[in-house]
Amino acid sequence: MTQKLNTLIGILTGGDSASARSRRLKVLSYLFLGILAVFYLWPLFMLIITSLKPLTEYLKDPAGLPTAPSLANFAEAWELANFPRYLLNSAYYTATATVIFIVSSLFVAFPIARDYFKGSNIILTLYVIALFLPPALIPQFQLILNMGLYNTRPGYILLFLINPIGMIIIVNYIKSIPRELDEAAAVDGAGYLRYVLTIVFPLIRPAIATVTVLHAIGIWNEVILPTIYLTNADLYPITRGLIVFQGVYGNNWPGIAAAVLMLMLPILILFMFLQRYIISGLTAGAVKG
Amino acid sequence: MRIMRKNYLFGSGGRWQRLTPIFLLLPGVLLYFLIALGPSIATSVYSFTDASGLKGAPVNWVGFDNYKEFLFQGMASRDNIAATLRTLQFSALVTFIQFTLGLIMAVVLNQNLRGRTFFRTLFFLPVILGVVIQGLMWKLFLLPRGGPMATIFGWLGIQSEFLGGLPSEAFMWVIVVQIWANVGITMVIFLSGMQTISEELYEAARIDGASNWQLFRHVTWPQLTPAINTNFLLNIVGSLQAWQLFYVLLGYKNGTQVLGYLVFAQGFGQTGSSTGFRQGFAAAASIVLFFLVLIIGFAANKVVSWREQRYM
Repeated sequence: MTQKLNTLIGILTGGDSASARSRRLKVLSYLFLGILAVFYLWPLFMLIITSLKPLTEYLKDPAGLPTAPSLANFAEAWELANFPRYLLNSAYYTATATVIFIVSSLFVAFPIARDYFKGSNIILTLYVIALFLPPALIPQFQLILNMGLYNTRPGYILLFLINPIGMIIIVNYIKSIPRELDEAAAVDGAGYLRYVLTIVFPLIRPAIATVTVLHAIGIWNEVILPTIYLTNADLYPITRGLIVFQGVYGNNWPGIAAAVLMLMLPILILFMFLQRYIISGLTAGAVKG
Repeated sequence: MRIMRKNYLFGSGGRWQRLTPIFLLLPGVLLYFLIALGPSIATSVYSFTDASGLKGAPVNWVGFDNYKEFLFQGMASRDNIAATLRTLQFSALVTFIQFTLGLIMAVVLNQNLRGRTFFRTLFFLPVILGVVIQGLMWKLFLLPRGGPMATIFGWLGIQSEFLGGLPSEAFMWVIVVQIWANVGITMVIFLSGMQTISEELYEAARIDGASNWQLFRHVTWPQLTPAINTNFLLNIVGSLQAWQLFYVLLGYKNGTQVLGYLVFAQGFGQTGSSTGFRQGFAAAASIVLFFLVLIIGFAANKVVSWREQRYM
């Protein structure tokens, strides 16, 4: 140990040759990453150990390791707060809204990308402008209320059927598909609908995957809109369910931690498989400037 | 709307067939006008009314009353103005720290280090977890008695109530969590910018005997301009509008409110007092926020174009 420490000090204070400097840089880099990593791993670790111990043990020693890890909290949270229902609701909202959004955007994006109308660029501009306009929160609420869709599933889903950034990504990707392909398909007698669905759609799969993931994560994680629009507990998505659960079981952190992990699991699984698309979606267009 | 025949290739058939793209386009565009563009524009109209959130309740035109109340009514306006200033403070601190930290993280992780994929993934992870998980995770981490952060503070001999403490202290912790949650995206944008910088530039500079700092200052920094501009703008605009972590971590706590939260709380009766849904007032507050974003975004954009002229 002392010897190691001495080597470390030697590296940090030692000579000024190029190799000593690069080793020093490396040690400092790992030191920096290590300290930072503590603040990313420890909250996660805390969440996991808390979820595995009984409430009584947690109250005595919140940060310690569980003496007899058990999954009882998960079962309890599962029953106490109707989490299966919340998870199903979340899945239903996310899937329905994403599918409708993707299909409807495809048919908006294609004519814009191909310049079918005189005003196609104006439509695209309107999508860009929306990114800079005031938030639509209040009038949106009045609209849903007056349509009689307040506190209903369709009303809630309606809020997630648009995504200007997603639309812009799809339009730009379609532009990269050569027009010759359209011509060839038209000559072969394909109709518009069939062409877009069976030929264009598979070709722009990377863009679709990116936008789908981006949009779906946004819906899954949304917590403000369910607070505004859904008062019936049967309609709660998991995020809202969790906030309410935390309000009711305030200090039962083992239960809350178990519930948080249940909300987290689907996102983590998705992240492992789709990391590439998630990152490209979140950084889309950022670097080209 | 008319199809331009030279561009549309599928309509050799009848008139109906040529209209197909329009029919298929309409649902998407109409939805967009109905849910996004229309309401967005209508916000300014609502800001001149006393609209409540009740179905069928009368809505009256009140002129500039909401704005007057927000800005110029002495004591009544005090909290609103404080929230506005706090929004600026929040945004300045978050932007500065997140930008700097994200840049350092990217520089470090752009080296050929073992385990760099692991660190990148780890630091990026909170971005996709969403505010509920981010918030609850940190509430647990910041438990005043026996929580991990309290333990760390204990080693340093400091006692703190964290989120339950003074408003100014709680506010600082929200800034910490906000940066923790979003610095990953800043880092990833910087990293993808760095990957576009040609290795030859570094080689040439190294042959000329440039130090690591000089490499960063004269190669990385100018070459990174697009990513720097993106992060600068994203961080400023994002932090001005961010407030969800306040909701999860603190609730509507006096002395910590920012403008975005004020809009939500006033508009949907979440202020804790029984003022009901004050949607006209909330709309006015969101127009104030909009102008704040517009002015600061415009100024930031000036900085960005100045940098572009200098380096590109």
